[in-house]
Amino acid sequence: MDGRAGMPTLPSHRAFGIGWRPRQISRGRLSSMTAISFPSEAFFRELQRLMGEHRDRFRALGYFDVTFGVHVTSDRPGEPEGRFLLGFDVFDCVRAESVSGFGADVDFVLEGRLAVWREMLENIARRGAADVEHSINTLTHFGDALRVRYDDPDGHDKLYRFAESIQEFFNLAGQVQVAFAGRERPVRASTGV
Amino acid sequence: MAYLSTTNFLDDEAYLDRWQYTLRTGELDLSWMNAATERIACRPQSPRRGLTFRDLDVGSYGFSAMPEIIRDNRSFAPRGAAMPDGLPDAQADVNLKSEVWAYNVEGYYEEAMSRQWNATTDIAWAELAEIELPEAIGKAYAQLLTFLTEVEMIATDVPAKWLGRLNADFFEVKNFIATQAMDEARHAEVFRKRALTTGYGLMCASPHNENNLKFLRDGDSFAEVSLGLHLQAEGMVLTLFRFSEFISPTDADKKLFRLVMQDEARHVGYGMQHLKWVLDHFPEKRDAIHRYLDEAENFVFGAGYCAEVTEPFIILAGKGLAQEHIAEGIRITQRFQLKQIEEYFERLAKCGLPERRERSKLARARELMQAALDTPAAG
Repeated sequence: MDGRAGMPTLPSHRAFGIGWRPRQISRGRLSSMTAISFPSEAFFRELQRLMGEHRDRFRALGYFDVTFGVHVTSDRPGEPEGRFLLGFDVFDCVRAESVSGFGADVDFVLEGRLAVWREMLENIARRGAADVEHSINTLTHFGDALRVRYDDPDGHDKLYRFAESIQEFFNLAGQVQVAFAGRERPVRASTGV
Repeated sequence: MAYLSTTNFLDDEAYLDRWQYTLRTGELDLSWMNAATERIACRPQSPRRGLTFRDLDVGSYGFSAMPEIIRDNRSFAPRGAAMPDGLPDAQADVNLKSEVWAYNVEGYYEEAMSRQWNATTDIAWAELAEIELPEAIGKAYAQLLTFLTEVEMIATDVPAKWLGRLNADFFEVKNFIATQAMDEARHAEVFRKRALTTGYGLMCASPHNENNLKFLRDGDSFAEVSLGLHLQAEGMVLTLFRFSEFISPTDADKKLFRLVMQDEARHVGYGMQHLKWVLDHFPEKRDAIHRYLDEAENFVFGAGYCAEVTEPFIILAGKGLAQEHIAEGIRITQRFQLKQIEEYFERLAKCGLPERRERSKLARARELMQAALDTPAAG
């Protein structure tokens, strides 16, 4: 993460001795998983499916009422990009779809280059959850890595009203085998090894 | 005792006779069954969500039809109940809807209830106990936590102070304010607990901060207090919590700040929607709002930018006390403080007060910070 303007070099959690425990994925499950490309509607639909599997966890966090966009941009010809709409209502993800643009019903959009999204997802894949340098709030805070686009500050504040639910949603990517364009092998979901 | 009964009931023969007669004969009065109230049976519009206040917004029980001046109910009677003679005058201090109401206040309440968390069990305290922070980081973090505990203690007291002073008809607002008091008490709890787990304990109380908190606590009206607390102070604290998550040294601390920022953003939402309501319905209050913010901003600048608040941020952001760390910490902290002010003006503009940016003295602070950031570092 060094070299991004405005981003301090944050020490790894290991420097403070914290023992983080990634989610365990069985070898049997891992071998049966098909890699899902990112960015793609299929990736976010898989997160939607996993959120349903972990409904008790999200129910415990409380009402989750927000609609936001994910905009993956490219800065090299041929690099994939995409716009995706994620809608949450009560305790469920009710929309996960690819869109051509974002309308007035979107509370905010998380926008960033593919390289940033990939680094975040690879971090989550290794650990089962984002570390101190890769939380959504950290990456968006100064707008250097990911930017938050919004028309209404009230919509923007929903990123914070539902901060833990949104972070937990992205942390579900730790249970997905993700294939990034240009990589020969998919990033394996965390096995705790 | 400030209030005494006009009747000594155990010496009142009529009262005692009626009571004994009922128990002895089984002849019930039942006049209460003829209460002249609306007969309704509310149902949840969204069974997944459950029965919400919005589902109860019906007829005389609802909040949409509530008038600006509450003249009919001076008692503790719940809105929509029959009010027989003899109810006391509760002498509520706040009886004007425009003093308290906010768009979506009923939604904020339901969200608050569903998103409560537990400071005792939802933070990985056992893991944090194994962490030893470097001395400068640990002391800076402990000072930040001391400041935040101070802030949240008064943020608890202020809504609690006003809760019993609002007219009983403002049911949804009172309930939301009650959740805020609980949220803030939990924040004070979690910050105190984290300070006492750092190995350094609490550090210094802040005179500048406490004078600002006293200003908020001693507001003359709920409207003033809401403007100062919910929109201005908590708006800036929300940006502060987000910055604190950004600079947090551990996963557990980052989660701690994500949980507190959720609650804070909800309070700010109420403050924004309250100001919108006021300016939509009573635009003549604009000048009074500006005059209040003139003084509130003076206090908040003194509190938020004093040494015992700014310096811990510099150390935490820069990751130490070495010269190069301090330089980096100053640069990052200035960006955060700039963001605080920008987002404050942005919220006010959205609420209908765009001219605040030009009138506010915080604009000068913003210019000074931007100039410092734009100046290349020496060497």
